[in-house]
Amino acid sequence: MATQAVQERRAIRQRKNRYRYRDNKTAYWFLLPLVVLLGIFVIWPAIYAGFLSFQDWSFYKDPEFVGLRNYQSVLKDPLFLATIGRGFLFVLMTVPVMLVLAFLFGSLVVSVSRRAASFLKVSIYVPTIISAVIASIIFVLIYNYSGGLLNAFLGVFGIDPIAWIGDPKWALLAIAVPAIWLGMGLTSLIMVAAMVDIPAEYYEAAAMEGANWWQKTAYITIPQMKNVVLYLLITGFVAAIQQFELPLVMTQGGPLDSTTLPNLFIFNHFRNDVNVGYSIAAALLLFVVLGTISALVFKFVNSERLVD
Amino acid sequence: MRITPRTRRATLAALGALTVGAMLAACGSGTPGESADGGGGEDGVTTVQFWHRSFTPVENEWYADIVKKFNASQDEIKVVDTEVPADAWDQKMKAAQAAGKAPDLYTSSANLYDLVNAGQVHELDSIVPKEALDEILDTATSISAIDGTYYAYPLLLEPQTVLFWNTDMLDAAGVDSSAAPETWDDLLAACAKIQPTLADGQYCISPAQDAVTMAWSTVGQQYNFAGHLALTDDWTAPDIDNDGYRDLMAQYKELWDKGYMPKQPLSAYVGGEDFGQQKVAFKVSGSWMMSEIGSDYADLLAKTGVGAFPSSSDADGRTATTMGNFTWVVDAKSKAPEAAGKFLSWAIAGDPENLVPFFVDTQFTKVPVRQAVQDAVAESEEAANAPWSSIIVDDIAPDAIPGSTYPWDVNLAVGTAMESVMKGSASADDAIKTASAAIQTVIERDGLPEKAPKN
Repeated sequence: MATQAVQERRAIRQRKNRYRYRDNKTAYWFLLPLVVLLGIFVIWPAIYAGFLSFQDWSFYKDPEFVGLRNYQSVLKDPLFLATIGRGFLFVLMTVPVMLVLAFLFGSLVVSVSRRAASFLKVSIYVPTIISAVIASIIFVLIYNYSGGLLNAFLGVFGIDPIAWIGDPKWALLAIAVPAIWLGMGLTSLIMVAAMVDIPAEYYEAAAMEGANWWQKTAYITIPQMKNVVLYLLITGFVAAIQQFELPLVMTQGGPLDSTTLPNLFIFNHFRNDVNVGYSIAAALLLFVVLGTISALVFKFVNSERLVD
Repeated sequence: MRITPRTRRATLAALGALTVGAMLAACGSGTPGESADGGGGEDGVTTVQFWHRSFTPVENEWYADIVKKFNASQDEIKVVDTEVPADAWDQKMKAAQAAGKAPDLYTSSANLYDLVNAGQVHELDSIVPKEALDEILDTATSISAIDGTYYAYPLLLEPQTVLFWNTDMLDAAGVDSSAAPETWDDLLAACAKIQPTLADGQYCISPAQDAVTMAWSTVGQQYNFAGHLALTDDWTAPDIDNDGYRDLMAQYKELWDKGYMPKQPLSAYVGGEDFGQQKVAFKVSGSWMMSEIGSDYADLLAKTGVGAFPSSSDADGRTATTMGNFTWVVDAKSKAPEAAGKFLSWAIAGDPENLVPFFVDTQFTKVPVRQAVQDAVAESEEAANAPWSSIIVDDIAPDAIPGSTYPWDVNLAVGTAMESVMKGSASADDAIKTASAAIQTVIERDGLPEKAPKN
């Protein structure tokens, strides 16, 4: 009797397990392409890069083991440290501005008519589909010292031409502007999507209590968008510190390295150095910096499941 | 067909395998038209991949033409010519080298010591006839051979720092437009006269003005002012903390402070748009700029003056320019080095007539490295109508020094110091101190004392 009960329970458990795990095999098949691609293009190269960062290698001679020398060279290089600092400065110049502008834009879109909202959304998204290289060239023309649009405009008010991308004081800002312009589209649309998702009842209830726009924004909109802002903060940070095309095309990192962001620094070393060990070590160190900062942001701004 | 869990699973598996297979296949193939093995092909024809940079239209035409002629002249070797945009060259080459797919033969202006030390190039003694190698003039041996072994066959030499001027603009300011200002004092005096005659958006001179360009284009000027380059002869220490380097930096600062030069480059150093658009009276560039003027601003050719770059007043006749060069090298991993050597010998080391159109069409701004070619070019009809051709070949080229052979980072440290002083971001003392520290780091990092030239 007892054994029969045990067998029955086992049969039930097996049925349940079969039900619970019946999609597992299919799921593995779905995962396979991604895992294979990640393996080939990310995991194996990362392992191999780690191996090469301890070598002197020029593609033509056998790699020669040099221990930690490449890492020491990178960490002792004041230009590398300066470039990381500049990366953070660039993040500060672009990400907060982009988030605030996108938030204001999103607030505008949700408050206008549906047709106007569609027009606004399309307009803000246009820069996103323009290649960064084309945008760089357009902005170089705008910043042109003699005959550029911006200086010509300032000239109308009697202001002397400014060397926007020739003066170390201005150059990083001059690159931040197109970076914001290019990044605004996606950030704004994600903000709009998040705002549309906030239940209208909250606002109705708040309106009945007599809350004004500021109060609704501070107590409903922003808290409800916490996860989206966190996402935009992390992706914005990583994209900004890795910005590469704009300084490459617009200033080649100059004047006086004032626009040499980390990736351009690594790229220049990869392009100019005979041995690739230094650039790989620098790239891996940048990876550590990015990973640490992302982890810290996640730690301080926890994502939470929204309460409906 | 009935869809059972089994058929569904099988279909999914097949789809998955197909996706992965397709993705892998996509990674496997190389660039179209580029054979991975480089060597043998069908019917015993050897394929040679040849890369050259994209330059002025006339140069690109010459490259395409010489390949076509060679392919037509025989049927054993097929040369495949690829023109690579100059600004994409470094990354494209690096990517090809990393993948083991570097071209068999390519044009190079890189430091020969670096190429040989890294084992990137094939020696030429075994694949190019000895008499062809012997023809290379002494002025070009330092860029083609190391310790008696040839690694590169030069196509041309070209001064990297030449002064161009717009004779109309100089005449309008009452400045002698028949010859270049001899010293920096003369140049600054000329600018003082020219500046009041300029319209808005026009400047007296457009020199190198960013660290990277200054790093390579002012090496001759460093020699002109200091009598030596940025390292001591034994490469054990930086050698820039002296009056020569300070004085050179001060001259650029004066051009900057007095507004003789624009605060932001109007065009690249290597290009001539600012000069072509008559935005500057003087332009500093390599001798190659003349061929751009000839092809893009032909009207300006007659009123363009060419001369040696001004000297320091203490220069004792030292040159102010380095000699740039373009050589052809065979990749060390080439599977068809003999065939590459044959094409090289035929194209640039054989019949001088193959090279005459190149030097004529580039407006005599480049110097051939073989006497036979120099003579053939000088005898051409067009040479008689190009008065500047003798200035470059006879006046500027003979004294010019070869570029520095130490690592690029040393040059870059000097270029950065020059730009900082010029723009007032640092005093000369501070800039020299920073640059010296950076150079010292390179000396230690790369073990330079062991790599110093032994002669």
